[in-house]
Amino acid sequence: MLERDSWLEVAHNVLAHPLRTALTGVSVALGIFILVVMQGLGFGLQHGVEQQFADDAVNSIWVEGGRTQMPYRGSQSNRPVKLTNADMPGLEAQADTVPSSSRRIRMWGAEVVWANPRGENQTGSFGLRGVDPAHIELERSTLLSGRFINARDVAESRKVAVVGPNIVEELFQTSEPVGTFVRINGILFQVVGTFEDPGSRWENRVVYVPFTTAQGLFRSDDSVDQVIYSTGDMTTDATVVQSARMLSWLKDVKAIHPEDARGVRVDNNNEEYAMYASIFEGIRLFIWGIGLMTLLAGAVGVANILAIGVKERTKEIGVRKALGATNGSIVGLVVMESTVLMLISGCVGLMFSVGLLSVVAPMANHEYFQNPQVDHRIALFALGVLVLVGLASGLGPALRAVAIRPVEALRDE
Amino acid sequence: MIHLEGITKSYTTGAQSLQVLKGVDMRVDAGELVAIMGSSGSGKSTLLNILGLLDAYDGGSYHLDGRDMAGLSERRAAEMRREMLGFVFQSFNLINFKSAAENVSLPLYYQKVPRKERTRRAHALLDRVGLLDWAGHLPSQMSGGQKQRVAIARALAANPRVILADEPTGALDSTTSEDVMALLKELNAEGMTMVVVTHENEIAKACGRTIRLRDGLVETGMDVGA
Repeated sequence: MLERDSWLEVAHNVLAHPLRTALTGVSVALGIFILVVMQGLGFGLQHGVEQQFADDAVNSIWVEGGRTQMPYRGSQSNRPVKLTNADMPGLEAQADTVPSSSRRIRMWGAEVVWANPRGENQTGSFGLRGVDPAHIELERSTLLSGRFINARDVAESRKVAVVGPNIVEELFQTSEPVGTFVRINGILFQVVGTFEDPGSRWENRVVYVPFTTAQGLFRSDDSVDQVIYSTGDMTTDATVVQSARMLSWLKDVKAIHPEDARGVRVDNNNEEYAMYASIFEGIRLFIWGIGLMTLLAGAVGVANILAIGVKERTKEIGVRKALGATNGSIVGLVVMESTVLMLISGCVGLMFSVGLLSVVAPMANHEYFQNPQVDHRIALFALGVLVLVGLASGLGPALRAVAIRPVEALRDE
Repeated sequence: MIHLEGITKSYTTGAQSLQVLKGVDMRVDAGELVAIMGSSGSGKSTLLNILGLLDAYDGGSYHLDGRDMAGLSERRAAEMRREMLGFVFQSFNLINFKSAAENVSLPLYYQKVPRKERTRRAHALLDRVGLLDWAGHLPSQMSGGQKQRVAIARALAANPRVILADEPTGALDSTTSEDVMALLKELNAEGMTMVVVTHENEIAKACGRTIRLRDGLVETGMDVGA
């Protein structure tokens, strides 16, 4: 009975002051709203950038030939530099450890022809890559059906192919590709598997064949376009040292000027990822900073309004005391009012921000901005902070107000 | 009903200590209507605070209805106020966002009287002061005289032993003042003990007896029955 009574008293007091209630409510709701929306956008940004790195394995070093820019040891500048089969053992020797690696032959615009069961030719132009078995992990591709290139395919230079989803869609449509034969630049290959790559659109327009097959059929020499080395669980610092060692070894072997940046490229994904990771960290800190500042501004506003509210109620508090209220019951009433008010308006802010994010989320599909979401822990944390600040800011003035001697508070000046 | 002996009270502001009450002796018997008069600075409000258990005294003794009021805890003082005392103020001090009936039932809320019973008693009291038709109105919709009558009804709500009135007519014109005093006298005639603090001779004359304060002491020889 008494419980219900004191809640009715709280409800009455809150509803009897619409302006005060609205002001407090709006600042709390806005604080929560801005914090949650900011955090949501921050997550969207983070997801977007992480998506960019979903393409390739993060712990990898990519090596490829280029074109010199400086004359060196009797060679002119503008000389193409090619990696060859002969370079592979020496290059690998520069690595501390090589858990896996893959060589690569790259070709643009390979013509792929599939004769469908009605005898009609389905033709398309796609990318072709000759690779080693470990390539599927290094490129972070997912096998959808059949199998990937295996060691025997490479050893025996088999004419087998693994095709991407765009090829399936454009040539095979609803037919099952695995087990059928296609002509690639006029040469017959058996399709042994299909894959997809979440990283980028381009990766899904590729046909994989064994490295040796591609080198033998489509290259006139023993050149290797690119080599990818996994660095396993090496530290970023160790991989930086390793990639520098690979670079200087290659420059020496290929007679490239030590300061020539274009002769050969050794890209360390570890390093790049570490850099992006520190940018994410910065963005996250920045968003937290803004969020906390907003929350603080909201909290100060709430504290202010509550302080004014209590001051305005000095007389009312005096009356209640004269009528037999204990100090405790008055402080309890004021604190209960502010807590109820803040919880309700905080929840309103939460509802609006969650609503906004869920409306915006499906539309947000930019390359660097994906899937903004609400972190419930952050929302609850913000709500908790506001309630605590509300309690603290209501408590101080309430304690001061009950300390005033009522007869003085109630006297007109 | 009220028995003060040698009540002293001083306030300390910074390094200065101000002796406001220097040993007040007074006695109010049950059923009396007593006026307390005094110029400003005479210690009237301090005395009222102490009588109303809203402030502690430094020395002397205070017995209310035979009970010693020495060293009450804050909670206990609130309890005594709730059960023994009704207050009427100069500026009415109704809670402006509550209706007349809600104002009157507020002391009963603090006495933990159930809601229905509170409303019933509030309506009976408003009827007693002639304002039953105004039960649902807010203070802002009422005249000064009406507000003070609501405040008197509120003071009566807790069924107190003593009503303490602080300048009850201070904010009213003379006609309404007379009405309010008539109501207080009526209640006194029904047996309610009352202490009225005032600086108006008219009001003091309407009371049965006048106690005059000067410089923190009761003026002797002036404590005479009318």
